Amino acid sequence: MDPKHIRNFSIIAHIDHGKSTLADRMLELSGAVRKRDMKDQLLDDMELERERGITIKARAVTVPYTLDGETYQLNLIDTPGHVDFNYEVEKSMQACEGAVLLVDASQGVEAQTVANAYLAIEADLEILPVLNKVDLSHARPDETAEEIENSLAIEATDAAAISAKTGVGVEEVIRRVIERIPAPTGDPNAALRALIFDAVYDEYRGVIVYLRVVDGTLRKKDLVRMLGTGKIFETVEIGRFTPKMTAAPELRAGEVGYFVSNIKKLGDVRVGDTMAIKGTEVKMLPGYREPQHMVYADFYPTNPGDYETMRDALETLSLSDSSLSFEPVTSDALGFGYRCGFLGLLHMEIIEQRLEREHDLDMIQTAPSVTYKIVKADGEEEWVYSPGALPGPDQFEELCEPIARVSMLLPTEFIGAVMQISSDHRGLFIRQDHLSPTRVQLMYDIPLAEIMYDFYDKLKSATRGYGTLNYEITGYKADDLVKLKILVNAKEVDALSAIVHRSRADTRGRATLKKLRKEIPRHLFEVRLQAAIGAKILARESIAALRKDVTAKCYGGDISRKRKLLEKQKAGKRRMRQVGDVDIPQKAFLSVLGGEDK
Amino acid sequence: MASPFSTSPKTRPVPPLSRAKAGTPLYVHLPFCAAKCHYCDFFSVPDEDQDVDGMSAAILREAERRAPRSPRTVFFGGGTPSLFTEGQLAHLLDRLDALTGWRASAREVTAECNPESLDEAKARALLRLGVRRVSLGVQSLDDATLARFGRVHTSAQALRAYDAARAAGLDHVNVDMIYAAPGQSPARWESELERVLALEPDHLSAYNLTFEPGTRFHLELQRGSIAGVPEEDELAMLDTTRAACARAGLEPYEISNYAGPGEACEHNVNYWNNGPYVGIGPSAVSKVGHARAGNVRGIASYLARIGADGNAAVWSEELGPVARLGETWWLGLRLARGVEPARARATAGFEGGADRDPALEVVASLERSGHVEREGDRVRLTPAGLPVADAVGRRFLGIGR
Repeated sequence: MDPKHIRNFSIIAHIDHGKSTLADRMLELSGAVRKRDMKDQLLDDMELERERGITIKARAVTVPYTLDGETYQLNLIDTPGHVDFNYEVEKSMQACEGAVLLVDASQGVEAQTVANAYLAIEADLEILPVLNKVDLSHARPDETAEEIENSLAIEATDAAAISAKTGVGVEEVIRRVIERIPAPTGDPNAALRALIFDAVYDEYRGVIVYLRVVDGTLRKKDLVRMLGTGKIFETVEIGRFTPKMTAAPELRAGEVGYFVSNIKKLGDVRVGDTMAIKGTEVKMLPGYREPQHMVYADFYPTNPGDYETMRDALETLSLSDSSLSFEPVTSDALGFGYRCGFLGLLHMEIIEQRLEREHDLDMIQTAPSVTYKIVKADGEEEWVYSPGALPGPDQFEELCEPIARVSMLLPTEFIGAVMQISSDHRGLFIRQDHLSPTRVQLMYDIPLAEIMYDFYDKLKSATRGYGTLNYEITGYKADDLVKLKILVNAKEVDALSAIVHRSRADTRGRATLKKLRKEIPRHLFEVRLQAAIGAKILARESIAALRKDVTAKCYGGDISRKRKLLEKQKAGKRRMRQVGDVDIPQKAFLSVLGGEDK
Repeated sequence: MASPFSTSPKTRPVPPLSRAKAGTPLYVHLPFCAAKCHYCDFFSVPDEDQDVDGMSAAILREAERRAPRSPRTVFFGGGTPSLFTEGQLAHLLDRLDALTGWRASAREVTAECNPESLDEAKARALLRLGVRRVSLGVQSLDDATLARFGRVHTSAQALRAYDAARAAGLDHVNVDMIYAAPGQSPARWESELERVLALEPDHLSAYNLTFEPGTRFHLELQRGSIAGVPEEDELAMLDTTRAACARAGLEPYEISNYAGPGEACEHNVNYWNNGPYVGIGPSAVSKVGHARAGNVRGIASYLARIGADGNAAVWSEELGPVARLGETWWLGLRLARGVEPARARATAGFEGGADRDPALEVVASLERSGHVEREGDRVRLTPAGLPVADAVGRRFLGIGR
């Protein structure tokens, strides 16, 4: 296919603004998928994705489309929609020349729209604004168009007005994709350079690499080298997603497709890496980096006997998710488990759910935390991977925490509020840059623990969702940090403890107990909760004993059913751990995190 | 094994339980009602256009195969057995007697009745046919509440039906009541209760209204169009009921049941003692040996299955000895007299003595927390344990896990 007839594009949208529905309609119109074969949201193929309405792994689909007598190859690259996966979004966009900016006209522009649109602008993509759900009675397309112009400085007066659900206007969107998004450039005869923008693990075929050929041509049997990892693979099969995997003899500059070799572990392939023919000297494509673990949390099997099963499950999961790391850990209250590293909080939730769903594991997960460092009197340094594992204060000289250099983009009107939040979170002001009369970039050094506690939530609400943040870890710094202990009926629960700044221990202790009070169910006896530093009690709460829990009617025909009901209520407690006589549910272990109740 | 929750047509028949020993209590489920009450989750359907004779024939066919000889107690429930005409009742009860000899053997024979279908003639007929105890569904003496419940009678009709039963010479009358109706205050319940107790019933069942899944009330609760009464009020109503019944000479012998001397319902006490029983009719459950099995919940499906091979069972279960022990404790603690540990082990078929009895650890822990107490060789709920009997029960159901 002549590159002039290829269009590579993605759809940018906030969650629930209709991205997958639009993609489905486009596939239908191209004839690539017959209507009766359509499952709603064809592009999302994990059960979990469909349930959560989000796209975790990027997908790419190639479909032919004929317009005014010319046949085009449309490559639709689907992108994940969450900040945890920003790196993957970036890479997916790098594989495109344009993007459809899809905005729900009944909701207007939202945070994710802005964040992802900025990524697209940075990737120098042609952006086509599209207003979705205009068939809804409360749609306000004019205002939405104005918001697009004001927030992103993208001309939107002639934005296509569509309903992805009914299909109205979708043909027009395709026409604009063809007419306005530039064809890929790149020389099919140059040395091969292909961008890996995603990879998935298939049980039967091993790793399937999603790639965009930037220069040159990739042919079957070519020996390729990954420039980032240095690994060498033979091209066993290449092809396109139409949307089923369809083998092709070659992929030329400008094309999007897949690559299969005998790659056993996803960790052998890095998103953002450049693929070249072995032995050629080419420049790596820009923007590659190693996955960065921002969040750590401990997983413990609810049933201690499942420890081995949990290890096997984590090993299996890491085959298909190279961003996950894990190592053994022990807790006094919860026994043996694993400490896992994640890209972010959503990534953590997804792993947790996949463990439960795909591996049928019931787990207790602790609140995510950062890694601390202690410096002993003799200068020896030691890592502390969970607050519960922090030795007594007489065992070390200094307690250090990771500091993040945080860059926040926000409308100027929110500067005051965000500065307040930043200083409330022990932030150190670094710089302020006005990007435009309406947008400003603030830079702070903030302890990573504060960011994880509730900083992101606070930023989002203070900026009505328009504030976005990025950060990188710049180093460790000692501070007056203490271990905040939580006691349940006088017994310390190490998995509930947190390392906090002394000045905030009191507030944090109270906030944690309030949440625990909500999460721990009433028992047959009173449950007493205490927050303490050492022997000093900072706060107390109590959960009154259960007062009424009794079945009124229970006769011969009811016994099995009622018994099962009671057992089910007991099973509802499966995701609880007993500490002393007290059942502590999973959610309670997350209470040491701040933010709004979910 | 099939689940007792399942009503899908895909449920396959399961083998019927073996025939119960002579003397086993017998329950007969007559699934028709004048109308479906909004709180009711028993299997019953409005009687309009229903083939009562066909149902009767099917029940008799099932009884022929499964009913025990010489049952100790018999209970005609439903549904509304009093809805059957005298002729229909005579046919059913006579044929059943021919099959089992219940008239000679049963010490207690109860029929559930509703006010709209119980007059003196019907009461006399029941008595003549061998029924000695009626359980009258009064539910409330407030007409607005009755309407809210979807009942098709007024409080005046209920009182007339009660008088009719007495006039006919029925010496054992239970009144069924429901408290904690939406909007009901403890004071209003107390006044209703006093009026009921003034009738001097031999037995009272007073149920805290429960929003059972699958009922209209449950749906309305989920939609927010009705609300339950506050927990403090429910607890107050339970206390009021116990106190008022005691004053009226009705002793609480189970969580929701109160009886005068010798008037406790033996048939029901057997359920709480986790004893065996045979249930006949759609949705009826039987326990024979350590196994339980339940019939299909459906008129047409019941008729079809009985017509095919006389077996309407669609689920069955047989728990292991430890689970049976937990179940025995859970059920037994509903009774005021409580549970005798050694007898619970025997009932459950748990081999091993007190030293290996896992229920006793739970008892010890609940004794410490004040929810159960020992009385001679029995263990029973304390006044603090009674309102949380399910939470206590769950502890026992969890043994061995």
